[in-house]
Amino acid sequence: MKEFFEKISKIDRRIIYLLVFISITIPLLIKKGFEFEALPEVKNAYEFIEKLPTGSRVLISIDYDAASMPELQPLLEVMLVHLFKKDLKVIMMGHWPLGLPLGQIALEKIAKEMKKEYGRDYVFLGYRPGIAAVMLNMGKEIRMVFDVDYKGTPIDSLPLMKNVHNYNDIALLIGFEAGAVGDYWVQFAQARYGQKIILTSTAVVAPDLYPYFQAKQIEGLIGGLRGAADYENLLKRRGFAYSGMTAQTIIHVIILIFIIIGNIGFIALRRIK
Amino acid sequence: MKKGVPLFITFISGFILIVALFIPHEPFGSLQERFNDWYIIVSGFTLILGIDSLLAYHYRKIKRKEKEAPYSFALLLTFIITLLWGIYSGIKHGNPFAPTSTFLRYFYTYVFVPLQATMFSLLAFFIASAAYRAFRARGLNATLLLISAGIVMLGRVPKGEDFSPYFIAVTFILIAIVCILEALPRISIYERVLFFGLAIISLILIFPIGIFLKTKLPLLSDWIMNVPQLGAKRGLFIGISLGAIAMALRIILGIERTYLK
Repeated sequence: MKEFFEKISKIDRRIIYLLVFISITIPLLIKKGFEFEALPEVKNAYEFIEKLPTGSRVLISIDYDAASMPELQPLLEVMLVHLFKKDLKVIMMGHWPLGLPLGQIALEKIAKEMKKEYGRDYVFLGYRPGIAAVMLNMGKEIRMVFDVDYKGTPIDSLPLMKNVHNYNDIALLIGFEAGAVGDYWVQFAQARYGQKIILTSTAVVAPDLYPYFQAKQIEGLIGGLRGAADYENLLKRRGFAYSGMTAQTIIHVIILIFIIIGNIGFIALRRIK
Repeated sequence: MKKGVPLFITFISGFILIVALFIPHEPFGSLQERFNDWYIIVSGFTLILGIDSLLAYHYRKIKRKEKEAPYSFALLLTFIITLLWGIYSGIKHGNPFAPTSTFLRYFYTYVFVPLQATMFSLLAFFIASAAYRAFRARGLNATLLLISAGIVMLGRVPKGEDFSPYFIAVTFILIAIVCILEALPRISIYERVLFFGLAIISLILIFPIGIFLKTKLPLLSDWIMNVPQLGAKRGLFIGISLGAIAMALRIILGIERTYLK
């Protein structure tokens, strides 16, 4: 009996890896999902965007890189679809230089799909170093930080940017966060300039952002793949995030089963000793 | 003098920025903008400094023929390839990340992105293995953490509530077994009755708690996220912020000087 409990409390990690691999890949390949209700914080974000008047300008900040791409890229794409569908104007920038091209790829892809024109419907500003200083200067005059777009075109020559000077001219800021930049947006853009913000983040960052949502400092919070799946559901455009939730459900269940097995072995061995 | 000048600059810069926060009018308002401009420029140069430091570190490793020299060589080689390819694409397409750029299409999309995504996705395997090994009910605190983690893990995924009664059944049956094992060797009749009673209660609780979790698990998970989790997070944030303010004041007033070393 002791040997059995020792065995179950020390399962070979390769068996765990194999089960994790199978339980992630099969649901992703089958692409079948469950039905579920959207989280209230995601509903808030969706409804806030729904209520924005046509033509409002939305600033998107890309603050993640390829490591967080599976969680945030599907959400970025579905949110861009929503924004363009509502005929809102998108201004994109970012604080993570290595992830910025991901934003650009998604923007170009969705803009092409929705037949939107660069300079009139969307603009890509790029990256400037100095997170807090960039945010503070944008509150005074965006041209102090971005006088040209990523191609080097002066922003005054872009119709979308003509009357955009600071946060007063931006209806909403959406931050895609894989680190602490979301805190800076709340501290500098919201607290100081009253900018309306929706934060989206990886699941691991989301608990850090809940205090801002509960304190009504942000209009909505979309965390992790679940948030992205909720948004896809709300927009009735199911994609990678939705099918990814099946994999996430199965992997959570498997991890819990392993935790229970490990604890059975642990408790039993403690008693035997 | 060597330390006096940097300390004076730090004091003046910090003092002006604090004053500008409360008095955004002239001359403080424009001074803050100028400081921010300088900060952006200095931040740009720190990137160059970082590259210099990284290259020098790995060049030294190659020169000394250290054990990890092949990795350093790979780093230097890929750095040069990335730089040259980026410059070439920048000249040809006006921007290395232009949609038609080969740098974006081949290097970034097919090399850099998969490499970085692979590194991070390995975390799924390590977390699963680490959770199995480390998440043990060693005491009351660890057990509470374990229960909360289980509720949140199931409550945040679709159909998690449907799985919860099974987990509850297994957990409570285990508790009952532990109680019975605990009761058997006892000599005192009272202790025996107590442990057998606890075992029976555990078995009886399976059904109501299972039903409760099946209907209320997402709500319970939301409550954990919105009440105890937020309370702990706020406490942490307040502590961190007070620490940051204290550290900033120490630096501005010249008490903390380690950054000068």
